Amino acid sequence: MSRVDPTLLHELKEYGAVGIEKCFNCGNCTAICPLASDEYPFPRSVIRRAQIGDKERMKSQLDPWLCYYCGDCSATCPKGAEPGETMMASRRWLTGQYDWTGLARKFYTSLAWELGSIILVGLLVVWIIAMFHGPLVTERVELNTFAPLHIVHLADWVMAGALVFFIATNVLRMYWLTMRRDGQKIPFKFYVTEAWQLVLHALTQKRWATCAADEKDEKTRNAKRTARTIHLLLVSGYGLMLVLIIFFLSWFQTDNIYPLWHPQRWLGYYATVVLLLGAGWALWGRVKKEVEMHRFSHPSDWIFPILLLVVTLTGILQHAFRYWDMPLATYYTYVVHLAFTAPMLILEVPFGKWAHLYYRPLAVYFQAVKEKAKAEQQVPEGALAAAD
Amino acid sequence: MPEKLKIGVYTCYCGGNISHTVKCEQVAKVMESQPDVVISRTNMSLCSDAGQSQIEQDIKELGVNRVVIGACAPSLHEQTFRGTVMRAGLNPFLYHHIGLREQDSWVHTCDCDGATCKAMHLMAAGIAKARHLQPLEPIRLEAEKQALVIGGGVAGLRAALDIARQGLRVVLIEKSPFIGGRMAQLEAVFPTGEKARDLLCDLVKKVAGHPNIKLYTQAEVTGVTGYVGNYGVRILQHSRGVSAEDAQALMTACKKEVPDEFNYGLSQRKVIYQPFEGCYPQLPAVDWENYQGEPISLNGGQPIVLEDAPQTFDVSVGAIVVATGFDPYEPRQGEYSYGELKEVVTLPQLIRHLALMKSGEALTWNGHPVRDVALIHCVGSREIEGVDEPHEDGQVNNYCSRVCCTASLHMAVELHEKFPALNIYELYQDIRTYGRGHEDYYRGALDGGVRFVRYSGEERPQVTPAPTGDTHPVLLRVKDSLTYNEELEIPVDLVVLAVGMVPRQIDDLVNMLKVSRGTDRFLLEVHPKLRPVETAVNGVILAGTAQGPMNIQESLSAASAAAAKVLTLLGRGKVELPPFVAAVDAEKCNGTGACVEACQYDGAIALQTFTENGKEIKRAVVTPANCVGCGACVAACPNRAIDVQGWTLSQYEAMVDAIGMNIVDLVEA
Ligand SMILES: Cc1cc2nc3c(=O)[nH]c(=O)nc-3n(C[C@H](O)[C@H](O)[C@H](O)COP(=O)(O)OP(=O)(O)OC[C@H]3O[C@@H](n4cnc5c(N)ncnc54)[C@H](O)[C@@H]3O)c2cc1C
Ligand code: SF4
Ligand code: SF4
Repeated sequence: MSRVDPTLLHELKEYGAVGIEKCFNCGNCTAICPLASDEYPFPRSVIRRAQIGDKERMKSQLDPWLCYYCGDCSATCPKGAEPGETMMASRRWLTGQYDWTGLARKFYTSLAWELGSIILVGLLVVWIIAMFHGPLVTERVELNTFAPLHIVHLADWVMAGALVFFIATNVLRMYWLTMRRDGQKIPFKFYVTEAWQLVLHALTQKRWATCAADEKDEKTRNAKRTARTIHLLLVSGYGLMLVLIIFFLSWFQTDNIYPLWHPQRWLGYYATVVLLLGAGWALWGRVKKEVEMHRFSHPSDWIFPILLLVVTLTGILQHAFRYWDMPLATYYTYVVHLAFTAPMLILEVPFGKWAHLYYRPLAVYFQAVKEKAKAEQQVPEGALAAAD
Repeated sequence: MPEKLKIGVYTCYCGGNISHTVKCEQVAKVMESQPDVVISRTNMSLCSDAGQSQIEQDIKELGVNRVVIGACAPSLHEQTFRGTVMRAGLNPFLYHHIGLREQDSWVHTCDCDGATCKAMHLMAAGIAKARHLQPLEPIRLEAEKQALVIGGGVAGLRAALDIARQGLRVVLIEKSPFIGGRMAQLEAVFPTGEKARDLLCDLVKKVAGHPNIKLYTQAEVTGVTGYVGNYGVRILQHSRGVSAEDAQALMTACKKEVPDEFNYGLSQRKVIYQPFEGCYPQLPAVDWENYQGEPISLNGGQPIVLEDAPQTFDVSVGAIVVATGFDPYEPRQGEYSYGELKEVVTLPQLIRHLALMKSGEALTWNGHPVRDVALIHCVGSREIEGVDEPHEDGQVNNYCSRVCCTASLHMAVELHEKFPALNIYELYQDIRTYGRGHEDYYRGALDGGVRFVRYSGEERPQVTPAPTGDTHPVLLRVKDSLTYNEELEIPVDLVVLAVGMVPRQIDDLVNMLKVSRGTDRFLLEVHPKLRPVETAVNGVILAGTAQGPMNIQESLSAASAAAAKVLTLLGRGKVELPPFVAAVDAEKCNGTGACVEACQYDGAIALQTFTENGKEIKRAVVTPANCVGCGACVAACPNRAIDVQGWTLSQYEAMVDAIGMNIVDLVEA
């Protein structure tokens, strides 16, 4: 039995939900959703839990993560209950629930907290560099003298360590809430046999393709395909960037000028281009509000792509100044670049919108594990009769 | 020389309802060869314009002078075809109707051959009867141009006013001391949101000021005699107990108080009282039932005791409109914890509670603030046999009360507007907001954040006191089909039962008027579609919720329809009744009186003394208006001197002979 809690609905509104109360539970949204199933009848299941305020089930469900926000549900809803945006708000809310530090909840529900923290971390970075930077060589660009590579690399690793810590602890909480509390017995082997799903879905967002596959209207189908393609490129861009700065920082934090065929050049350019494209597309979409997934924008939906855009642009600038041999401009843009990169990574990945990067594939993985376990527990038809 | 019989026989397909089972063409073919039949036809749908004109044409062109139709039940279209026959210039009673659909095709769907045989027998019997039909004339009676309206609720008031405006006189009686009925207890009403008492006041003014209407309050019917056009009604009226001069003083001096039924017991009132500001009549009245001879001391003077001096008088009326209204269902002790938990109230009570509150005041119940409230639909309605406990008469209220859905949603919207922070739950089975504008309340409630929980009648919600230490006093448990049939626990401060409608306690009146009631105990109309406001008793007509659950709009439509019926009945000063009543063959009657003994109906038949050729003889005489045509006298008469017109013994005999015929003989005839 679940106890009804009327406050949940108001809480979700703070996370950006818009029309939950209008829903009269007709189920059209679930019927149209290409990803919903009998076991996971979202988005109505999510809307309903929100309406009656069943916090426990809301926390333990995977449903919100299984949605890629194609927006078919919102377009179909006869009541304007915006089920798609409810799914989005639920993802924000769940990010807040998984996060034990409470920061995610603060960031999602208070713009002051979110902006304040970004500025604080940015200023901290500036202050540290101001205190500890090396000599400013002005005759030519010597970035490694200004900010010695081994120190920056160390800082990178410290930051990566902190990120891993927060992500791992939050993921553990997600695991606890979604996998351990409903009493279903799950043999450990399935966590191993299904692990490939995690990698597959993280890298490809494969299911997103289903959303476009069933679409009859050509224009919408193309728009859905474009959205997925750009998102894939974006993922490849930031994935690449992360790998590069963690493992190959020496290529970038360099005073050398590499030839064009060197991976430092073309990999860097590729990542920069897709990051610009992805962030720019998201922002432009949110301004135009033409496709379902961009009609509603929570502050967090703006802040993340803006950060990404600024980080990319300052990265390009810094690179350009170095090539044009402008030492001071290079050092200053470098500081600005880091002042945006640090909060983007430290705050957005474990506590912000970027967290969906691991929660979503994890949910797909967990879903697969659950289904395997369930299939094993179900006695095959006829087995009982045979036993008699 | 008697005219030559020419019988037209028509077998209707009823759009397949009959012809899917009965081989209509075969039936029609066999009927062709029956005696005196000149034409036998089939038709896809005889009641259509084309079907009817075929009959008219045959009467005019082929000289058909008896018509036999095999079609749906006579209750549906007998009147239609009487009209058809009459339009063609034939006496309307030279026509006989056979219910091939209800009596045959619908009940023998698996046996086409059997059904076809049965149809042939029935049709042959009809033809046999038709050969004995004689032209008849409807009974015409003088009618009193005055009507009685029982019940001064909104329906009674509307009916009275509509009748009076057409120039007929109306006697309007109301049992309570004030008119307005249940509507006076409402505040803003759906679907317009207007104030109930303002609307009512308008109507009351017109009724009170109309010279053709005579109003009696604190009055009841104690006896009814006579028949349509000429009812004699005995009325008993209690005294008001006070006069314009002493009313205020007496009211002030009176100390005795009782729970105020106007506020459903939420407040107290004196036994000399006015139920609300602006009531009509304005003069306070003594509630005799509760007054019980209490001495009242005026200005400290000698105590006086008020006396009720009831008066009885008779009125003659041509028709009676029954508008006795409804009572809100009173939940049983313990039903949804009603009567056990203070936090469980009915919707009418909540309406009064809000009305008694000062504007701007926070919502409280029993001294506690109300933060969460749940409204439960269908309380005392849509009960299921075998699941819900039966009522005193052994029945469950299986009907839908129709107004409670919109009334609850209306309440939810109003609560949300007045107290935006309140959490409101509606526990329903189906949302039946069927009327124009009603759905807006549902939408409004949704948009306002009212939470809907859908239960099934098989498993009604449970209301229990919360364990000590809970945040709320009451817990609701309900299996919610919108949440995948999971059980929810809803903590609330107040539970509101959206009670349905039940008819008022009017057993005496029902017995006096001899009207019938449905299994739902509401008064029953003759036919829900064809004669929706008339009862089986001629001249007794229904208005408003006495007949079944209705909202104000529907009550008013019904009241106006009732008024229209009264006006068509009495407007010409004459009434026409069907001629199917007993008729005495004067030559055969020798005054044995067996018929008079057999008759169950007052004043239908009596022995009268006639002087013929200087001799005194006794003979039975029928008063057609009081005769219902049951035929008890026919069976009793030793001389075959009495018959029910249109259904005579010789007609029956001919029918029985035909029914008894071997099918082979029938086909070969
Ligand atoms: C909670 C609730 C809310 C409602 N809200 C709305 C609304 O918002 N809008 C709407 O359209 N409808 C509403 N309704 C319905 C509305 O109340 C009825 O449609 C209307 O009152 C019916 O009027 P009536 O004249 O048929 O019956 P009543 O109002 O019951 O009148 C019957 C009258 O007959 C009198 N009487 C009874 N027996 C006798 C007798 N033997 N002799 C003489 N007199 C007798 C009674 O004293 C009474 O005055 C609501 C109903 C309920 C229960
Ligand atoms: S969100 Fe819309 S489409 Fe989905 S169940 Fe609710 S009303 Fe229906
Ligand atoms: S109107 Fe609604 S609440 Fe009333 S009995 Fe019918 S379904 Fe139930």
